[in-house]
Amino acid sequence: MCHQTVSLVARHLEAHGIATVIMGCAKDIVEHCGVPRFVFSDFPLGNSAGRPFDVASQTQTLELALRVLESAPGARTTVQSPLRWNADAAWKLDYLDLTKLSPEKIAERRKEFDEVKSIARGKREAS
Amino acid sequence: MTTLASETKTGFAAEHDAPIPYMQRTRDYYMALGYNPYRWAHFADVPFTPLPAPLDRARVALITTAAPFQPEAGDQGPRAPYNAGAKFYKVYSISSASVPDLRISHVGYDRLHTTAEDINTYLPLARLKAAAAAGRIGSLGPRVHGAPTNRSHRVTMETDVPEMLRRCQEDGVDAAVLVPS
Repeated sequence: MCHQTVSLVARHLEAHGIATVIMGCAKDIVEHCGVPRFVFSDFPLGNSAGRPFDVASQTQTLELALRVLESAPGARTTVQSPLRWNADAAWKLDYLDLTKLSPEKIAERRKEFDEVKSIARGKREAS
Repeated sequence: MTTLASETKTGFAAEHDAPIPYMQRTRDYYMALGYNPYRWAHFADVPFTPLPAPLDRARVALITTAAPFQPEAGDQGPRAPYNAGAKFYKVYSISSASVPDLRISHVGYDRLHTTAEDINTYLPLARLKAAAAAGRIGSLGPRVHGAPTNRSHRVTMETDVPEMLRRCQEDGVDAAVLVPS
């Protein structure tokens, strides 16, 4: 949802004369929405700006975003960071992996999700 | 994960070593849980504005989806479980001269493979300050702006997005770096 939100913001700013670049980890969501400029890091969600405790990686990722901001030739410019999360890409198989969930676990997740929705609704209505 | 012999011979990457198809995984997951599929925002046309000033003279805003720490809202620390109580529903702004305490326990980051211990992985404020100090960008906008992550496109597009533009215009920024959590 975060990637979609910033994509909608970027489009609106851009339509009103502010140049934008998104730094993100969910390539399909951002490109499906359609944005002007996007630096994609193929990292787990939560690391849009670089690797934890790795200033060089964070500096490199921001510099890539700044270069894309300066030099993108047109809309829907995506540049992928050359950095890798680790050599083995097996982590990519785990996100919302249904094959690891039993029917009992799925029922449990549904109950949790309904609880979370109810908390969010209460908070939203109070705000 | 085992690598097929043919992959080794060709030098091809493993089949799964591609960007995660988040929309498909999310659709499958929530359908398995019994919910209707979510309709993701999708546009055929995309606006484009060339950077209006050279970057070393441009004022650049930072926009985040991270949430201000709320002491009464439960665990928001590294490895905290998903915490809907830490969500926020209005655009907020915070001085970029500060070192703000912004957390991401309110969103679905990858809790299996990362921990949210280092704020610099989702908020490049320190790196942008360094870029301003080095003269790489003209200046950093006076405020960091926070965007609520709402499942409702209508609320995002009709309320939050215009408010974000208003604040960026108020700050007189030429460009914005947007960082989802």
